Amino acid sequence: MFERVLIANRGEIVIRIARTLRRLDCSPATVYARQDGPERHTRACDVAVEIGSYLDADEIVGAARRAGADALHPGYGFLAERAELARACEAAGLTWIGPPPDVLDLMGDKSAAKQAAQNAGLPIVPGLHRAGLPDSEIVQFAQTAGLPLLIKAAGGGGGKGMRVVRTLDELESALAGARREARAAFGDDSLLLERYISPARHIELQVLADSHGAVLDLGERECSLQRRHQKVIEEAPAPGIDPALRTRLGEEAVALARSCGYVGAGTVEFIAQAQAPDEHYFLEMNTRLQVEHAVTEAVLGIDLVEWQLRIAAGERLELEAPVASGHAVEARICAEDPAHGFLPASGWLRALALPSGAGVRVDAGVAQGDLVSPRYDPMIAKVVVHAPTREAALARLRGALEDTVLLGLSSNVGFLCDLLDDEGVLAGQVDTELVERVAATRQPADASHAAIVTLIAEGLDGRAAHGRSDPFAQLDGWRISGDSGLTRRRVTVDGHRELELALGPLDAQPTRALVDDVELAVALSAVEQRDGFRRLALSFDGLSEAWSVVSDADGWWAGHLGRAWHIAASDRERSAEREAGGELRAPMPGSVVAVHAREGALVARGDLILVMESMKMELQITAPLDGTIVLLRVRAGDHVALGTVLASVAATSSEEDGV
Amino acid sequence: MSRVLESAARPSSPQFEANVAAHEALAADLRARLARVASGGGEQAQRRLRERGKLSVRERIDRLCDPHTAFLELSPLAAEGLYDDAMPGAGIVTGVARVCGRHIVVVANDATVKGGSYAPMTVKKHLRAQEVALANRLPCVYLVDSGGAFLPLQDEVFPDRDHFGRIFYNQAQLSKAAIAQIAAVMGSCTAGGAYVPAMSDETVIVREQGTIFLAGPPLVKAATGEIVTAEELGGGDVHTRLSGVADHLAQDDKHAIELVRSIVATLPPAVEPPWAVAPAQPPAVNPDELYGVVPPDVRSAYDVREVIARIVDASRFHEFKERYGETLVCGFARIHGHPVGILANNGVLFSQSALKGAHFIELCDRRVVPLVFLQNVSGFMVGRDYEQGGIAKDGAKLVTAVSCARVPKFTVIIGGSFGAGNYGMCGRAFDPRFLWMWPNARISVMGGEQAAVVLSTIRADQLDARGEQWPAAERAAFEQQLRDQYEREGHPYHATARLWDDGIIDPLQTRDVLGLGLAAAANAPLAEVGYGVFRM
Repeated sequence: MFERVLIANRGEIVIRIARTLRRLDCSPATVYARQDGPERHTRACDVAVEIGSYLDADEIVGAARRAGADALHPGYGFLAERAELARACEAAGLTWIGPPPDVLDLMGDKSAAKQAAQNAGLPIVPGLHRAGLPDSEIVQFAQTAGLPLLIKAAGGGGGKGMRVVRTLDELESALAGARREARAAFGDDSLLLERYISPARHIELQVLADSHGAVLDLGERECSLQRRHQKVIEEAPAPGIDPALRTRLGEEAVALARSCGYVGAGTVEFIAQAQAPDEHYFLEMNTRLQVEHAVTEAVLGIDLVEWQLRIAAGERLELEAPVASGHAVEARICAEDPAHGFLPASGWLRALALPSGAGVRVDAGVAQGDLVSPRYDPMIAKVVVHAPTREAALARLRGALEDTVLLGLSSNVGFLCDLLDDEGVLAGQVDTELVERVAATRQPADASHAAIVTLIAEGLDGRAAHGRSDPFAQLDGWRISGDSGLTRRRVTVDGHRELELALGPLDAQPTRALVDDVELAVALSAVEQRDGFRRLALSFDGLSEAWSVVSDADGWWAGHLGRAWHIAASDRERSAEREAGGELRAPMPGSVVAVHAREGALVARGDLILVMESMKMELQITAPLDGTIVLLRVRAGDHVALGTVLASVAATSSEEDGV
Repeated sequence: MSRVLESAARPSSPQFEANVAAHEALAADLRARLARVASGGGEQAQRRLRERGKLSVRERIDRLCDPHTAFLELSPLAAEGLYDDAMPGAGIVTGVARVCGRHIVVVANDATVKGGSYAPMTVKKHLRAQEVALANRLPCVYLVDSGGAFLPLQDEVFPDRDHFGRIFYNQAQLSKAAIAQIAAVMGSCTAGGAYVPAMSDETVIVREQGTIFLAGPPLVKAATGEIVTAEELGGGDVHTRLSGVADHLAQDDKHAIELVRSIVATLPPAVEPPWAVAPAQPPAVNPDELYGVVPPDVRSAYDVREVIARIVDASRFHEFKERYGETLVCGFARIHGHPVGILANNGVLFSQSALKGAHFIELCDRRVVPLVFLQNVSGFMVGRDYEQGGIAKDGAKLVTAVSCARVPKFTVIIGGSFGAGNYGMCGRAFDPRFLWMWPNARISVMGGEQAAVVLSTIRADQLDARGEQWPAAERAAFEQQLRDQYEREGHPYHATARLWDDGIIDPLQTRDVLGLGLAAAANAPLAEVGYGVFRM
């Protein structure tokens, strides 16, 4: 096969591919970006080459040559689906582990891909995609093809001119409105339309094709659970798919792969009516290994990376279409904030303990102590479980997520647990909007126990500070009056909610705690110092709980059953800013060089709003808080005096916080 | 040889039970007095405070302290029985706390007590806290909420060396010694009081609550006719934005405390303790029996080792010169892990006891072992033989050693503290880092009985010389009056009201206050060893 394969990627996928390479006696090599330094994934490989950018094909091919590689695996993301990298490999005499460049070109062009699929006999979403459609033709289409319909401006995206029409009555006014908006936004009122599939399911087919014309259908994956158009939970097989449909989907995927001369591992994505998945349409074909390939591996008991390598080495598929056994589910653990629109989070992984056990596979590219950088995909790890039935697999995944300790930054672990409790998910009735629905109705988990845990941890920390005991810390709550002093704090939970706490001495078992005037009896039964964090066994009103806790620069992280809370001393300055709204005044007299936002835009604290120049210095004016720009009254070139109001940001109100 | 002390206590004996009952009564009296002081100016004043969105002085301190830590309050019963008993705690709470891992001194006005104004004992308590800060190198946090000097007693608080102005002198001197001065203005800070935040290194002020000005609105109106609100004159916004008198604007009391904690977190770490600290071990002999082994009457003799066994780690004691000068028990032990050299009275001081004590102090000083004095002394032995034996010069040796030892000293008056015994056993004048009294203790230049006899004998001799008679009944009344006066003035509450000590403690707290005091004292580096002339 190959002597050495360069994996042009980072994180968990490098580690995962390297594992297969080692099993096959190939030497893994990889790259790392100069600005990141040799990250954890480089330790899984024999050679690591420093590069400037993961997006520079020539540099990556150069790295492969320096590493002495004879083949290149692109992983996923970055340049994995870019023909330029495949061609550069070929030109350099390296074997490209992926489909031929022409196939990459074809599938990279959405409309060409759709055309190819249609030619191969795959259903595509009905619609009219010609410029200059008159209203009459649109109305006629609506009457024949059925509703709902999606109307969009031919001129561009951004949601401008986009309308969903659910009844014929709405159609006329929707058309007028859409044309008006399109004209205003793009100077062209041309509209396109297609059937609007809602609620929709996202189902994809894994295929494997060798360079000798053999194509295998490796079954489907259900991938409807998505946020921000990215999958979070995937499973195989897809629930509620009858054998006839399964066969049809497989045949369609194989037909497409065969028709375009596909070689390697590929995924054909379909969109289906959630209630009636028989009605399904080709969406696109992914010409790479998918993040969620592991669920297919689990149910089929094969190694897809191994087959990618064998196919690239010219081997024939000796595989009979394997029979799926049991059910596999994958959850992606991501650094993100489910309470705030799943915005990516970054920070140090102060405590990380990933689940393990029978039927649990974890692919991770990070370890405790690593920095999760905002520059890359926020995925920290994926947890893949396999069990005889779907029900058992979901329960196993729930358990694995509850075993996960992830402290130091916001993650979706707690949200994933909630998602797995959702009736729709449990019943296999999923659609692409389900995650957003769960997020919208989700209440923040009660933080009172977490807040108490952090106060206890802070007390315990004090007892052993500087490696020696201090009677001030030993004599918990000691007062000359003979009464016990309370530990009292106002804390901020996850940066926005406040809690008022009072906690009695820990030596009293149980001790009394007050959280916002709600009384609890708290007893601490065991303390275990793990590598880098602490495990506490406690009981609250007689009910035992196990917690993990670790400090960070601002305060503490406390985790329980996969959920995590950040507890810090309340910062009333920031609260006051939130109340008052953020008025941005010119910090110096000078001129506005550039304006990067517009009135009405949503901004996060720290987002750049405008740039000023003064005394030969550039000053970046950034959002002081999360919210909406309610006023922006300067333009580039304006001269402004010291203290001039440049912009004003109104805080996102707490009701909106949960959205 | 270091050994674990054993107790001869007989917990079921009538004497033991009588002792317990007597100490329990004394402790209950102490707790009742402390409870009264804890409510400051009373329930109504506390309610008014809450209605204005302010926290009580004790809640402010609770919030300042690190979670699950001790607060070593100093002289909580200052001004007890003074000023018509209307200034509980002298209207100020002081003590040593642990904040962000650092030991600090807190000085916090109680606005519910006469608006937090400074009576003479308030000033004395404030100055004592600064003295504690200087001796132990502890940063100071002032939680200011005071109307300034108590005007009816202005001649007792304003002009003298150790009066109001000394607070600011001390702030400058402490700051100069790199001992951080941090203030949070949580109420008024008028006139002279304005200098507390102004003299601080870093200052927080609570908006629409804290005010700093040299003259308040009424005085301004009287002086210049200008009509101005307190907030415009010296509120938080003015001082953090325009005048720069304060550095941080807090939204409320809780925020102010968080800001202070954040400031303390920026201070450099404390120095390593001058001595090695071992893990603490509880006493092996049951400390709860302390009441039973100590007769409450200072005239009753008992073996002080019964006390030592109940306050030192593992009850382990390495006794020094056990067979010599037996009325002063000396030896090494640990309290809450800190090494200590203990000097404890076991009867009247003889020359040998004094010589042994001086020798032992020198040992501890050389070995960097802090000294703990357990005082229960009726004085030095009197009589011709002892004077001829030079007991005065031997007592002087002990006093010289006590005065000059550079290691921290701690004194607990567990019984009588009379005459030169007070000096030889490190009384207040000898600058122990901390001095506490038990509720059964008595302190005076001599015992009431001796004073009565001495003074009535002198009087009788005078009358006799003039050939006059002194009827027995009159003489008895004269003596009784003296006995009453000495009992009153020698009582620990009389002492603590006047700041002769750092507080009356329940005997069961002895081990813990000493541990806390040792931990505080460990923040200061030691000077070089050096002594004056020992008269030989």
